[in-house]
Amino acid sequence: MPDPGANATLCTATFACGQCGAGLGFVGVRTETCPYCVSPNFVERPASAHRPRPGFVIAFTGDASVARGQLDAWLGSRSWFADARIRRARVEALRGIYVPAYLYSAVADTDYTASIGEHYTQTETRETKDPAGVARTETRSVTRTEYRALAGHHVGYVTDVLVSASAGLAHAEFHAVEPYDLRALRRYTPALVTGWITEEFSRDPDDCRQISRGGAIDEVGQRLRRFMPGDSHSDLVWRTAVRWESLEPILVPVWVLAVRYRDDRSALRVVINGQTGAITGQVPLTAWKVALAVALAAVVVAAIVLAIVRHGGPPG
Amino acid sequence: MTACLRCETVLEDGDLRCAICALLVPAVARPSAPVYAQVLRCGGCGAVVGFVAEAQAPRCGFCAATMAIEQPIDPIETARRRLPFAVDRDVAEAAVRGWLAARGWFAPRALASEAVLESLTPLSWAAWRVDAEARVTWAADSDAGALRSAWAPHAGEVSLVFRDIVVPASRGLRASECRRLIPYYALASAVTVEPGDAGLDTRADAGGAAGGDAQGDARGAIERFDMQRSAARQQVQAAIEATARVRVEPSIPGRRFRNVRVACLLERQTTERLALPAWILAYRYRGTAYRAIVHGQRRDIVFGRSPIDVRKLAALVAAIVVIAALIALAIIAR
Repeated sequence: MPDPGANATLCTATFACGQCGAGLGFVGVRTETCPYCVSPNFVERPASAHRPRPGFVIAFTGDASVARGQLDAWLGSRSWFADARIRRARVEALRGIYVPAYLYSAVADTDYTASIGEHYTQTETRETKDPAGVARTETRSVTRTEYRALAGHHVGYVTDVLVSASAGLAHAEFHAVEPYDLRALRRYTPALVTGWITEEFSRDPDDCRQISRGGAIDEVGQRLRRFMPGDSHSDLVWRTAVRWESLEPILVPVWVLAVRYRDDRSALRVVINGQTGAITGQVPLTAWKVALAVALAAVVVAAIVLAIVRHGGPPG
Repeated sequence: MTACLRCETVLEDGDLRCAICALLVPAVARPSAPVYAQVLRCGGCGAVVGFVAEAQAPRCGFCAATMAIEQPIDPIETARRRLPFAVDRDVAEAAVRGWLAARGWFAPRALASEAVLESLTPLSWAAWRVDAEARVTWAADSDAGALRSAWAPHAGEVSLVFRDIVVPASRGLRASECRRLIPYYALASAVTVEPGDAGLDTRADAGGAAGGDAQGDARGAIERFDMQRSAARQQVQAAIEATARVRVEPSIPGRRFRNVRVACLLERQTTERLALPAWILAYRYRGTAYRAIVHGQRRDIVFGRSPIDVRKLAALVAAIVVIAALIALAIIAR
C-alpha cells in the first residue's frame, strides 16, 4: 500500500527500445519491457541527490513459480479464524520488483543511566500460631532487591539497518519481510536486474536516514538491555550519538501480488521476500468465527465461576 | 592492500563490505555517459537476454547461453602459514603410551598393555590468528561498594590491543580440544605454507598423508578451513569479545565480580590463516575405539578419551551408599 507520507518523486522519461525502436515510457523505473518485441530494456541515468545509482543488489533466488508455491503454502497455513475463502483465492498481478532501499551503518556512542537491582537474602523471624492455637516462632529466608544507580558508556557498530526507499512499499510492510541475507550482496550491474521491474529511488534520502537512525537507536537499546549487570534493571535511559554514518543505495528483491478472495472485497495485497520467501499480508478474519470463540470462552469462564460458587467458594 | 575508511581494518580481494564495521566498499567511479535505453545481448547469438533467478545470471532464451557476471566472493579459505611439528612420530607414540599408563585408578589396569594403536596421524588443523585494537566499554557487578547485597554495579571503558588471538576453524578437532592445544603453540615459529604442503583435505582422508614425522617438517594433512569467510568473521569477533571479557577484569574494582559484559569497537583488525600441528591418535581397547591428541610442539600436552573400569566405578558407588547408610543409621540411633 502506498505510504501517504512518502515523498514520492516519480521520474518519467521516454526512450526508444534498444531492440525495435518503439517508444518506451520509463515511469519511476529504470527497467521496462517493450510491449511490441518483449525486450527487457534498461536505462543508466546519471546519479543525483534524490535519485542515486544503486551500488549493490541482492538478486532474486527463484522465479514466479517459486513465489506461487510460497504463497500457496502461506495461504494454506492461515489460522482457523481466517476467511476460509482465502485458500481458494486467485492470484492477480504477480510481479517481481527490485525495490530501492538504503543500507545504513554507523558507529554508535551511547551514554546510559539505569537502576540496577541486586538481590540479597534476609532472614525473617515471625510469631505464628499453630492450628491448636499454640504460639510458634518461624524463621525464613526472604530474597529482596537493592537498587543501585549506574551510569556508563556503550560503544559499537550498528550495521545492516535496511529501510525502504520506495514510495510504493511502506517501511512497515518492508520490515515485515526482513531480514535479507546481506552476504549475498553483489555490486550493481544492469545484467542483474534486466528483465525485472526495477523501481527508482522515490523517497528522500534524509527521511530514510532519519528512519535508519531510529532503527539504529532501537538496536542500541536492545543491546543495552542485554548489557546491564545485576539481577534485574529498570529506568534504563540512554542517549546515542551516531557518527561515521553510511547510507548506501541498494536494490532488494520483492514479489508483490494481489490475492482476490471475494468479488465484493478489494484484493488482499501480499509481499514476499524475493530472497528468503518471507511473506506478509493482512489476511481478513471471519467475524462469526471470532464471535463463536469469544462466546465459548465466556461460557467456560462462567462454568468455572458457577462451580466455585456452588461449592461454597474457596476454603477459609 | 586497502583498508576500511571507517575502522582501518585491512580489506581483502573481493570484499564488498568491511568484515568489522560493515562499511560498504565503494566501486570505482564511472564516467557519465549519454542516457538511452539499452538491452543486454547474448554474446553467442546476439538475442536479447534477461536475468534468470534460477541460474543466478542472465540467460539467453534462444541458445540458453548463460552470461558470466560478478559473483559474491566468499571463498573457503586455506592456511597461508603453518607451525612446524616439533614432536616426531616416535615421541608422540611414546607420549600416548605414557598417558595411557597414567590414566588413574578408574582406568582398567590392563589399558596400557592391551590398548592397540590403530593410527597416529599428523594433522595441521585450521585456525585464525587475529590482531586488533578496540575501545571496550564494560559493565559488571563486583563486591566493591557493596551495601546490603554482596554485589554493586560498576561500568567503565578501556582501550585494549589484542595480539595473537588464535580462533579455531577446525572441523577435525572439537572446539574444546582446540582450546586445550592453543596456549602451548610457539606462534613465532610460523613458516609460509609451500605449494607442496597444502591441498590435503582431512575430511576426505587424513590417514593417507603419513610421514609427517620429521622434526620441524610437517608433511601431514593441512586441514582446509571449514567455513566461508563471511561466517568466519562472526566467529572471530565472538572470540575477541570473549577475550575482552577476561582482559577487562583488572579494570573492575573489587576482588570478586560477576556478570561481566563488554561492548567492543574494533579497529585495525588483521587476520592470518594458520595451520597448527597436532598428532591424532586412534586406539582400540577391547573392541571400542578411542581418540587421543598429542600437541605437535609439546610432548607433555596429551589428552583424549579413555575407558573406565565399570567394576571399580560400581565398587566406589556401593562403598559410598554403604557409608551413607551407616551415617543415617547412626543419626537415627541417637
